[in-house]
Amino acid sequence: MLVQFYNVTKVYRNGVKALNDVSLKIDRGEFIFLMGPSGAGKSTFIKMLFREEVPTQGQIFISSRSIVRMKRSEVPHLRRSMGVVFQDFKLLENKTVAENIAFAMKVVGAGNREIAARTSDVINLVGLKGKENSFPGQLSGGEQQRVGIARAIANRPLLLIADEPSGNLDMATADEIMELLYNINRKGTTVVMATHARELVKKGGKRIITLEAGRVVSDMCALEQQ
Amino acid sequence: MNFKNIGYFFKEALISLSRNRVLSLATITTMAVCILFLGVAVLLTVNAGNFMNQLESDIQIIAYLDDSLTKPQLGEVEANIKATAGVQEVTFVSKDEALQRLQSKFSEEDYDLQQTLGKNPLPNSYEVKAVNPQEVAQVAQLIGEIPGVYKVNYGQGVVEKLFQVTKWVRILSMVFMIILALGAIFLIATTIRLAIFARRKEIYLMKLIGATDWFVRWPFFIEGILMGVAGALVAIGLLAGGYTSLINNAQTALFFVPLVSQQSFLLQVYLSLAAAGVLLGTVGTYISLNRFLNV
Repeated sequence: MLVQFYNVTKVYRNGVKALNDVSLKIDRGEFIFLMGPSGAGKSTFIKMLFREEVPTQGQIFISSRSIVRMKRSEVPHLRRSMGVVFQDFKLLENKTVAENIAFAMKVVGAGNREIAARTSDVINLVGLKGKENSFPGQLSGGEQQRVGIARAIANRPLLLIADEPSGNLDMATADEIMELLYNINRKGTTVVMATHARELVKKGGKRIITLEAGRVVSDMCALEQQ
Repeated sequence: MNFKNIGYFFKEALISLSRNRVLSLATITTMAVCILFLGVAVLLTVNAGNFMNQLESDIQIIAYLDDSLTKPQLGEVEANIKATAGVQEVTFVSKDEALQRLQSKFSEEDYDLQQTLGKNPLPNSYEVKAVNPQEVAQVAQLIGEIPGVYKVNYGQGVVEKLFQVTKWVRILSMVFMIILALGAIFLIATTIRLAIFARRKEIYLMKLIGATDWFVRWPFFIEGILMGVAGALVAIGLLAGGYTSLINNAQTALFFVPLVSQQSFLLQVYLSLAAAGVLLGTVGTYISLNRFLNV
């Protein structure tokens, strides 16, 4: 079991109840779509996975460790076991493709030789060979998201978290990005992906968790849903 | 701090300094101005204190003696004064010497005091300095009780007012300096916050990837310290230049104000200002950064 949520409730300081008594489990190697309208609590759920937010009530375990009771100094180590992909890519504009990926490895203390080898590996994996020295501004949206994914998997995370990774991309590019994520999942990385895009989800045939007003309203496989 | 990262931290700090040239320059200028003001305040305080010390040490007690005392009796009075608690230094001024001093205040052609007065009306006296000028009133009272002393003078009334003034000058200059230092920290923290705000995305990203707080902090601290040192150097240059020319030029015009000019002391002031630059850079960065690290 990789992730366990027990009766998790989150009430923000302004009184908004973003999650309401959510309990669920995610196994190692699963691919999960997190669906629901805006304001349903998807972002809060995702932020709790990498402990940007902590629950008001309830418990969250990752690899059997409570991340609610976790000390602040232990949070960096938790996050090193995860990779995050953002809707707006969040690439550093003044760094090249290779530097953006190397940066993520440098941050967690990797050595220079390891960084060089791994950077070239993940660039190949996401299909950006030849673009190592381009700056994000010189790339298309789809290419930028590939850099975002390469950066997220550079440190070999157990869990890949993707928040609307194809939200800013056209359908064809979105399909390519999804293919890349499935590919990464097939190699053993657990993936949790929040999305609005029903089409992508239907094609995937994966587990779908639907949130509405902070509650889990359905948790099933895509085939069952149809 | 992980030593294998030192090179990386310095590189990041230098890259950021040169990339955000305008903001770096603004911060350095702000620091230079703050440190310059701080330096001016320090020199003003030191010189004011020095001036006050000098004024206070000028205070002396004059013990006028009975004219009838014989030489051995004079010796006895002197011994008694020296034995009084709080006395530092005793100088005998004979009546002839006193007359000469008075004569020197007039021009000799206009008035020959000896001739005008016929005989010397001035008494023998002892000039007494107290160890602590603040205690001059008590010491004067004790001396006044010694047999053979018929009157004691120490500028009664004026001295008390002087002490009031020196006390307030000291307190006000300290308050002034503290306010200035706090203002400098606030101003510098604000400027650095602007620089950090421009890079909040990068900080957020580093934290999400799993950077420790210190990994994020170090390049910013190095940057802050470098800017602090640069600002301090500019300020010290201006201050040293200005103060040296003040000593050279104004010594004659303001001869009654003794300016502190020992090189070793000034060097100490300048080094302290450089240290203040480092401190301001560090504290300013620390205050500004913490808010962005809470991810």
